[in-house]
Amino acid sequence: MTTTNPLPLTETLAPGDIDALVDVVRDCCASQTPLYPIGGATALDYGRTPQQPGIGLSLSGLNRVVDYPASDMTITVEPGITMGQLRETLAGERQELPIDVPQSDAATIGGVVATALAGPRCYGLGTIRDYVIGISAVDGRGTPFKGGGRVVKNVAGYDFCKLLTGSLGSLGVIVQLTLRLRPIPEKSALVVCDVSDSEMAERILAALVNSGTTPVAIELLAGPAWQNDPVLGDLPGGAAGRIAVGVSGTATEVDWMIEQLQREWNQQHVTGVRAISDAPADELWSRIVEFPAADAPLVIQSSVRPSDVTGLVEECRGADEACSVVSHAGSGIILARFAEVPNDDVARLINNTLRPAAVTADGSLVVLSTNLGNQTHQTIWGGRTDATVVMESVRRQFDPQRLLNPGRFFRD
Amino acid sequence: MVTTASPVTAELTAALRDVLGDAAVLTAESDRAVYECDGFVIDKNRPDVVVFPRSSEQVAAIVRLCNEHNVVYVPRGAGTSLAGGCLPVGGGVMVVLTRMKDILEINLRDRYAVVEPGVVNVWLTKALAGSGYHYAPDPSSQGACTLGGNVATNSGGPHTLKYGVTVNHVLGVEAVMPDGSIVEFGGPSQQQFGLDLVGALVGSEGTLAIVTKAWVRLTRDPEGYRTMLGVFDSIDDTTNTISEIIAAGIIPAALEMMDQGIIGALEEAFHFGFPLDAEAVLLIEVDGLEAGLDEQRDQIVELCKKNGAREVRQAADAKERQLLWKCRKQAFGAVGRLSPSYCTQDGVVPRTKLPHMLRRIKEIGIKHDVRIVNVFHAGDGNLHPIVLFDERDAEQTKRVLLASHEILDECLACGGSVTGEHGIGVEKIDFMKKMFNEDDLAAMARLREAFNPQGLLSVGKMLPTSGACGLEQKHPGRRAAL
Repeated sequence: MTTTNPLPLTETLAPGDIDALVDVVRDCCASQTPLYPIGGATALDYGRTPQQPGIGLSLSGLNRVVDYPASDMTITVEPGITMGQLRETLAGERQELPIDVPQSDAATIGGVVATALAGPRCYGLGTIRDYVIGISAVDGRGTPFKGGGRVVKNVAGYDFCKLLTGSLGSLGVIVQLTLRLRPIPEKSALVVCDVSDSEMAERILAALVNSGTTPVAIELLAGPAWQNDPVLGDLPGGAAGRIAVGVSGTATEVDWMIEQLQREWNQQHVTGVRAISDAPADELWSRIVEFPAADAPLVIQSSVRPSDVTGLVEECRGADEACSVVSHAGSGIILARFAEVPNDDVARLINNTLRPAAVTADGSLVVLSTNLGNQTHQTIWGGRTDATVVMESVRRQFDPQRLLNPGRFFRD
Repeated sequence: MVTTASPVTAELTAALRDVLGDAAVLTAESDRAVYECDGFVIDKNRPDVVVFPRSSEQVAAIVRLCNEHNVVYVPRGAGTSLAGGCLPVGGGVMVVLTRMKDILEINLRDRYAVVEPGVVNVWLTKALAGSGYHYAPDPSSQGACTLGGNVATNSGGPHTLKYGVTVNHVLGVEAVMPDGSIVEFGGPSQQQFGLDLVGALVGSEGTLAIVTKAWVRLTRDPEGYRTMLGVFDSIDDTTNTISEIIAAGIIPAALEMMDQGIIGALEEAFHFGFPLDAEAVLLIEVDGLEAGLDEQRDQIVELCKKNGAREVRQAADAKERQLLWKCRKQAFGAVGRLSPSYCTQDGVVPRTKLPHMLRRIKEIGIKHDVRIVNVFHAGDGNLHPIVLFDERDAEQTKRVLLASHEILDECLACGGSVTGEHGIGVEKIDFMKKMFNEDDLAAMARLREAFNPQGLLSVGKMLPTSGACGLEQKHPGRRAAL
């Protein structure tokens, strides 16, 4: 996503431990200097571009594994550890955090928690909010606080793990995380088919709700990005896209699911059905995960009822024929990468066409990134609601001077 | 934060009757007695008035009236909570949500249901029977507890090991805020952008707002089950087996432990055929695709045997499986056969600490001369030591509390928590200072302030600084046997 740093930074500091970080926040608080927390710098253009000059607070110096009791299937880490390093550490114990994010060699766990964007396996395995069981942060006054703990089940006190996950650094700087883990499945594979149009796609997606299989991911792939795929080949004439279903488990389970899904799809007269495993599956999987990070004039993410996915995809493709889509369709999440925005008018496209369509489907829509100029808060995040008013009062309690990521997430 | 709340006046009661009708407002002493406590019976206090709204608008009207009259109020579901979460501290108005009991929508295509807070947990499961879907969180009290209460306490249950707790299954809520406004957070779509206030509300024990509607996720029924009963001659062998099953990367749907004390009571109650001479049994269930189940079962049987299991039985059919689960879920009821009163704790430890913790519980029981039996969610490390006593014996009751507190202190020393699923309520409020420092508690108080600046909702709960002091109780709170 990010090619140049869009934040208005006067300098960037990288404290090496929590005490030093607290000092930085307290200094900024005393001098009323805005503070922009930075993890792997892979999503700096997410949210509204901040205007107030301030200090970049890099978490790269806080990148240690604090405790990894592998037999308990939990790990405590500092926020600056990259998703790639984390994956390697966990793989040594045949465990994983099943959250797929783009640019995992740069993206940090702190950034992933702060942005909380869903990946493909959210259908079967949940999102990052389901895996954070303990959190420590430093609020806008420079006061450290924590919630949760190191055990997998815990209802003592308010759930700061949930509150801070997805808060985009606006309530506190995350300084430590405890995560629940899963065993790495013995085998994973993808089963793919072609779809000719929206109606057919919805028919297949609706049938998957009652499939005998238990997928971890249900992906709808459409648009030019999927026209000539190195793994899937050329999209045949008449096909508008593909559906890819991810399955994982023991080898016996995966082999059975591949056969079962092929059986179900054959009964539904679905075409282009095939199973992809091993290296080609990894390659296709990685392309799905990296999709939102590609350079594009506009990338949006929307979340709607799963049955409204194909309708919203049509809206996107109707606005720009060259728009490409990855939808975590089982969960109703749509990532759309536009190639051309009519008249370069992002605001009009979002506010007049796409967001109303998402809201009609009881959903929401946000801009992930755009290089077509500075957009308003309304365009990036949508309008103020009764719920956002409550969010603003929470924000005032944790960052009364509005120094943490000002203007990016809240209308500061 | 209020320091002095006002008593309920005849004027307020009349206004409540105007809004709700006479049949939805209880003021008689005998009626109010029913609502003086939940499953935590040590502290009791009667609300001054009990109201039964039928709609969100009525809840909002009640909240506005309480604000106008500066009277404290507290929401209540079925009252099955175990930590005093719906104890009416300071009396005031109790808002009982059991008449808001409709399942408003079931949408299988989009895998969610919309429910009112008074819907009993098992009603939703029954409404979904045959659909191929179910609502996953299944607390042992599911036959009585309400979904609103589940949301308030972030309820767990035996199957949370694989499927997660309530918060993992709530997509959105409608809530009446302490200012009387009705606000929706989240909804039927999976991901909401903005602060996760749904996540903050779930498990907030009714201290932030009153939930009047919830969008809950539905979960696919597993194709099959393998339910096993591992029989052990030593507690250490049992707890080591638990650790090894988890460490082997198996995720059972449930992994429950019951010790000899509880087995005897269960056998007497249900005649399942439990081995009375066994030190402990493990109830282990794996579920999912038939294709993978025998493999997992064999692996588990092998791990049990390796750790010294005397035998591993398998539920022969669905009927036997149901009976096993009935025994487990009604275990607390069977405790009545062991003693007139009991007190259960809800500590959690890292799963590898279970062998140590069970040994310590035994030592603590001996030290304080109280009998303790165990039935708990072993796979989550969530202990439920049941301390047996007679509440008419004040000296014994004191020893029970000392033993309970020592057990919870030990959980904390192991890096755990004092509550895995029952909540803090009033019972464990003093432990908050042991788990969290002043800054953590101040941050929690700030979150409460953002939602609940009036400070009249659920006073005296969860936080040691939650405005209970200075509130004078009109009736002296009854303390059972203390």
